[in-house]
Amino acid sequence: MSAYFLHLAILGGIYIILAVSLNLIVGYAGQVSLGHAAFYGIGAYASALTALLWQFPFPLAALSAVLVSGGCGLALGLPTLRLKEDYLAIVTLGFGVIVDMVFLNLELTGGPDGLPGIPPPRILGMSFRPPVLYLLLTLLAVVLTLTLTHRLVHSYHGRALRAIRDHEVTAKVMGINTPAYKVAIFTLAAALAGLAGSLYAHYITFINPESFGLHTSILALCMVVLGGMGSLPGAVVGALALTVLPEMLRQFKAYQDLIYGGLLVALLIWRPEGLLGRGKLSLKFLQRQ
Amino acid sequence: MFLQQLLNGLTAGAVYALIALGYTMIYGILGLINFAQGEIYMCGAFVTVLLLGTGQVNFFVAFAAGMAAAALLGVALERVAFRPLRGFHPLVPLISAIGASIFLQSLALLLFGPNDRPFPIQFNFSTITIAGLPLSSLQGAILAAALGFMALLVVFVRYTRYGKAIVACALDRDTARLMGVNVDRMVALTFFIGSALSGAAGIMMAIYYNATYPRMGLLPGLKAFSAAILGGVGSIPGAILGGLLLGVAESLGAAYVSSGYKDAIAFAILILVLLFRPQGILKGRGD
Amino acid sequence: MLTLKSVQAGYGRLTVLKGISLHVRPGEVVTLIGGNGAGKSTTLRAISGLLPPARGVVEFNGADLTRLPPERIVALGLALVPEGRRVFASLSVTANLELGAFHRQDQKQVRRDLEEIRERFPLLKERASQAAGTLSGGEQQILAICRALMSRPRLLMLDEPSMGLAPRMVSRVYQILRELKDEGTTLLLIEQNARAALKLADRGYVLETGRIILDGSAAELRDDPEVQRAYLGKGYREVWE
Ligand SMILES: Nc1ncnc2c1ncn2[C@@H]1O[C@H](COP(=O)(O)OP(=O)(O)OP(=O)(O)O)[C@@H](O)[C@H]1O
Ligand SMILES: [Mg+2]
Repeated sequence: MSAYFLHLAILGGIYIILAVSLNLIVGYAGQVSLGHAAFYGIGAYASALTALLWQFPFPLAALSAVLVSGGCGLALGLPTLRLKEDYLAIVTLGFGVIVDMVFLNLELTGGPDGLPGIPPPRILGMSFRPPVLYLLLTLLAVVLTLTLTHRLVHSYHGRALRAIRDHEVTAKVMGINTPAYKVAIFTLAAALAGLAGSLYAHYITFINPESFGLHTSILALCMVVLGGMGSLPGAVVGALALTVLPEMLRQFKAYQDLIYGGLLVALLIWRPEGLLGRGKLSLKFLQRQ
Repeated sequence: MFLQQLLNGLTAGAVYALIALGYTMIYGILGLINFAQGEIYMCGAFVTVLLLGTGQVNFFVAFAAGMAAAALLGVALERVAFRPLRGFHPLVPLISAIGASIFLQSLALLLFGPNDRPFPIQFNFSTITIAGLPLSSLQGAILAAALGFMALLVVFVRYTRYGKAIVACALDRDTARLMGVNVDRMVALTFFIGSALSGAAGIMMAIYYNATYPRMGLLPGLKAFSAAILGGVGSIPGAILGGLLLGVAESLGAAYVSSGYKDAIAFAILILVLLFRPQGILKGRGD
Repeated sequence: MLTLKSVQAGYGRLTVLKGISLHVRPGEVVTLIGGNGAGKSTTLRAISGLLPPARGVVEFNGADLTRLPPERIVALGLALVPEGRRVFASLSVTANLELGAFHRQDQKQVRRDLEEIRERFPLLKERASQAAGTLSGGEQQILAICRALMSRPRLLMLDEPSMGLAPRMVSRVYQILRELKDEGTTLLLIEQNARAALKLADRGYVLETGRIILDGSAAELRDDPEVQRAYLGKGYREVWE
């Protein structure tokens, strides 16, 4: 396997976790987050800082990333998830801007220069610096994430979530505590994004605010919409496609955001169910009401 | 000092209010937030700056052209990104509008580059000192123009046939249609007016901060949205009041609390309002 | 004047109207009666264009309305007073009336009509600048009727104008309808209050689960044992006199 392929595979794995977690918010809570990259970034910084300042071993650093990101998700979700979709989109956009501002201004986070020298993972004396091993570690996290979300989505709670998404009022009447569900799913999604951030930080070993801005949030949203909102395999395929395609289309790098923006509009008009969505009939929330 | 900050806040706030009016009117009639409002604001500024840059165009003509371009962009946006998706789950037009916003922003980046452009003409604005308070006539002019636009809008909505028809659509779309009101046209008209106001706001800020750049709409868009929520989304007086209050709070906060996080103040207010009074100060839709 | 030929309409996969045929001649008052959920409102929505028929034809003075949007239909002279009045609550009484004439181009005549209607209903003049939502239910119904009249309709359709009103207001509303009838206005009146409707109407249709099961002159329907049992039966409180 070439080093380049390994690199893409690792990034693809990280993006799968990011897209799957955002897909929980979009596809199961029926909300849009434009600050998903902020949770990703919070995870990356939390993991890097605990490893750099207190020499936390990787599993502990990753755990703190999950907890800190999840905590931020909870704090942001509590006041806002009772409200309409649009509100959350703008609140999370604002949250992304603020988090970016904090990363840039704080001394702790190294400002615009970021944090260099993040140690690669070392578990039980074994270093995961070689890309093959790092890929294994990433795959482990991916499998963990997919198992967790798959089981959640197909559980009683998953059905409740779908009910909320499709018919919020009916769900409320049926006695489902919709705000609690939304907050829970949002927190979980933020925590998973934190995990992705931790994996990213210890792989690249250098982070700065640039990787966690609005651009990355939009990229994640594109992955979800491309694959199909509410479809787990869709999120995986969307993540892989948008990891590989930009690499193949390097010469169009300047047009990347233009393409992503246009892609979102075009997809929703021509194929709102995405590539792998199960067609218009099964996805009630994509139908005209 | 305090009065100076108050005046600074009112100036910025009046501009936020203009953008907030666009959010609130569109929300009133469609029940949706137009996510690309900040890009419409940017478009107005760019068109005016580019026209003035040629040195051939009178300031007022360039101003009007900027507003017109913003208005047309708003109407086009509604046709492309909103209308085909009407009737879907609100998530769908929302994401489409986000896509449109990113598209426009990166288009501007490709066309004009990332750097600030200064405003092409210099005004000889004097600073008058009244009772020890230095009053810039630039601020005075911006404040007056913004308030003038707001007054025009209120008169339009209250006293004209089309204004009332827009309100009727916001209140009860089906019944408005029974009266012979063409809802599609009223939605387009709402986008036209709301976007023209945002365009005017963009031009004024381009003069005030002497900077025009592709991402200039992001923060004012966020702040104006907070202002609209603060006042009560869907309420025109609410948007005006919310904008002014937010501008003042931001200016005083930056002066007396922390200037490094000036831009975060609007966001903090947004979260507080959502927590304690999500319906806004003046609750309302369609008035 | 108005003709429906085997009109079918529904919501999504649910077919509510299963082939309705009826007609209204100029100057007539025709009533459509039926119980809850029979499809009366749906019929009016289909005629007015709010719910385009899936099958069948709606014709008005020779024009095919079947595919026209409501804003075009009202311009042809067909006005609807919707179920539940639906006045624009936060707009003033006068603004409501003006909106009724929205499609008209003859602004001068609109002004005159507005004056005339305010003379005729002093209530609308006294409360001119008050928000319509602050009127009582009966007053709102009168406003809704006048708003429809402001469009100068050739045929006025009313969906349960007596619904939810106090007996005194019901008789007031029906008094207005009788005046309109005497002036020669063509009416298509929908009611659950069959007794009041049949007293005013020239002819009537009985609608049951999306089908017309009976039609005839108002007198015939009043005397029909089936109608008497189902719609005018004993225990049915007389609210009209
Ligand atoms: N918007 C809608 N969506 C789905 N079904 C509807 C809708 N409106 C009405 N229906 C159904 O269509 C049927 C007929 O309704 P309609 O309103 O025409 O009855 P109606 O005769 O006017 O009754 P009422 O006297 O109660 O006003 C009912 O079974 C109702 O449940
Ligand atoms: Mg009905």
